[in-house]
Amino acid sequence: MYVVRPVELTDIAALEALAAVTMPGVHTLPKTREKIAASVERSIASFSAHVDIPSEESYLFVLESLDDQAIVGTAAIFASAGSNGTYFSFRNDVIQQVSRDLNISHSVHALTLCSELTAYSQLSSFYVGEKEQGGPEAALLSRARLLFAVLAPQRFGDRFFVPLAGITDAAGGSPFWDALGRKFFQMDFLDAERVIGGARNRTLIVELMPHYPVYVPLLPGDAQAAMGQIHPSGELAFNLLTAEGFEADDYIDIFDGGPILQAHKNSLRTFSGALTRRVETAAPERTAVPRVTYAVAASSEQNFRAVVVDCTPVEASASIALSQDAQDVLKIAPGDNVLCVRI
Amino acid sequence: MLVVRAIQADDLDALYVMASQVGSGMTTLKPDMKMLGDRLAIAVASFAETIPPEKRDYMFVMEDTDTGKLAGVCAIKGAVGLEEPFYNYRIGTLVHSSRELDVFTRMETLYLSNDLTGSTELCSLFLHPDYRTGNNGRLLSKCRFLFIAQFPNLFTEKLIAEMRGYQEEDGRSPFYEGLGRHFFKMDFNHVDDLTALGKKSFIAELMPRQPLYVAYLPTEAQQVIGKVHVSTAPARRLLEQEGMYFEGYCDIFDAGPVLQARVSELRAMRESSVSTIGLATDWDAACAPETAVSEPVLVSNTVLKDFRMILSHAAPANGAIELPEAEQRLLNCHTGDAVRTLSLNPRKPNV
Repeated sequence: MYVVRPVELTDIAALEALAAVTMPGVHTLPKTREKIAASVERSIASFSAHVDIPSEESYLFVLESLDDQAIVGTAAIFASAGSNGTYFSFRNDVIQQVSRDLNISHSVHALTLCSELTAYSQLSSFYVGEKEQGGPEAALLSRARLLFAVLAPQRFGDRFFVPLAGITDAAGGSPFWDALGRKFFQMDFLDAERVIGGARNRTLIVELMPHYPVYVPLLPGDAQAAMGQIHPSGELAFNLLTAEGFEADDYIDIFDGGPILQAHKNSLRTFSGALTRRVETAAPERTAVPRVTYAVAASSEQNFRAVVVDCTPVEASASIALSQDAQDVLKIAPGDNVLCVRI
Repeated sequence: MLVVRAIQADDLDALYVMASQVGSGMTTLKPDMKMLGDRLAIAVASFAETIPPEKRDYMFVMEDTDTGKLAGVCAIKGAVGLEEPFYNYRIGTLVHSSRELDVFTRMETLYLSNDLTGSTELCSLFLHPDYRTGNNGRLLSKCRFLFIAQFPNLFTEKLIAEMRGYQEEDGRSPFYEGLGRHFFKMDFNHVDDLTALGKKSFIAELMPRQPLYVAYLPTEAQQVIGKVHVSTAPARRLLEQEGMYFEGYCDIFDAGPVLQARVSELRAMRESSVSTIGLATDWDAACAPETAVSEPVLVSNTVLKDFRMILSHAAPANGAIELPEAEQRLLNCHTGDAVRTLSLNPRKPNV
């Protein structure tokens, strides 16, 4: 059995071991013990903070395998992107070229540096171990963050976005970066990501990145082809997020051209489909009823826990039947409310 | 003998014959009787001063007096861009710098501009291939500077000349392929034709409005910015000798340079002088050892309506010039009349 829960101080060593594994395309997970500890502490402080308006909080969740007590995945959510600055991205614009006199009408694709994603809530640092990638645990991990947002809407914005890593070659080079950012930064892609720490809210972005629209037809073919394309490692996240209701067409990352998925919370399945149900202890197996897989979260901001549960459909019922195990993991008892959504 | 003179109403047929020999690449001289007729009418009215200075278009033809045929044509437009917008790219610089990263990047940019609106323009130069020898090209190109020096009050202070941009041997323009094609989706020749029909501003309106970073363009497009067509290189040198220079403006389609000058700084303004036709006694020259060949000199009359100019080997001295009878006839001048002279070539330094 697996549980998604807020990160704790005792997880630092395990997170360090995870970070040692190379994760191409993940630039937002801290690598050093010091930085990992800082992000864990920040998360703990964020969970315990009393929040009226989302600000610099960042919430880090881990996926724990209860059988061997191992941390096998991470997922984070920043309350307000670019919190102490501006979150920069490229907006996909279409410029209409029309001349009645010449009977010409066509459109030109341009990229405009914009700060529209500032103050959206940002999902990031999604990582799942290989063994769990195919299972419902990956979906649980991705969705648990949003379940927490359903429980504590005051902690988050009305809109969410997720930047996914773009295409890089074997040597870590990015064709999009080479055509665009490199001309301004005068350094390699990975060097640039390292100096900036994966952030997109730094003043130096305004200082260095183009202020005027970048006309896409002027970019080399490989850079154009890389726009909005995900790194293979991001495929799982991409599929989970698009199934959730995120849309990929409007923004791309300013460094590697990777897609930025975004959505208003009302169009996300977790928000529209989450049900609050009273807990009952599951009766002995009744095989005749078809069973459905749910992500179930304890309705508690301070003791957030989420697990995968197979049970009879709860849509038409006021309660949900949970096994004693599941109740123990969620730290709840019959009569408590849980939040559940179909996976 | 060759004389460059103000165009006359009865030159239309000969002008048409010449325009049909121009071929592509020259947008302002197409073999179209209506267009040429309109332009000629404006030119005649310009010399007659019956239209306001900014609408004038002074056309000059080079005539071979032995055959009566036209050998070349050139023109000065009083002001550009007052009836339809006149577009150029201005090459600018944007610095992107970050102290934090210790990065300092200079980016060249192209700004779509109408900065040259209202300037006087040198244009429409064409010399018939049969006459492309000796000093004929210089005579035809430089006649305009002598005209400006004689009548500076007719022109604005800023003088420009658009030069044909770099093209490959097959007529392909690397700059157009790298930029314009993405916005017009048509061939360069087609764009050229539309330009000739006076649709250039329509096309310009399809160009990106925002500044462009040069670094985004393909290298071969970047390299030809401000570069002239191989066949235009000599014409560019002639204009540069007269005080015109490239100041960072170029054509929006082929990136050919726009040469600019302030009228008051033209060599013709500084070095040309008025002399009277008559006996010239140059005591300095008489005392000096005889030079093998005397320097060629541009000589014009001083009449606006019947402006004429020739190349002579007579040297002006002490305010007088001894012009042979035949040359006086070419200029419609007589002894005692004033003429303006300018050495054909700039004085070489240290001589």
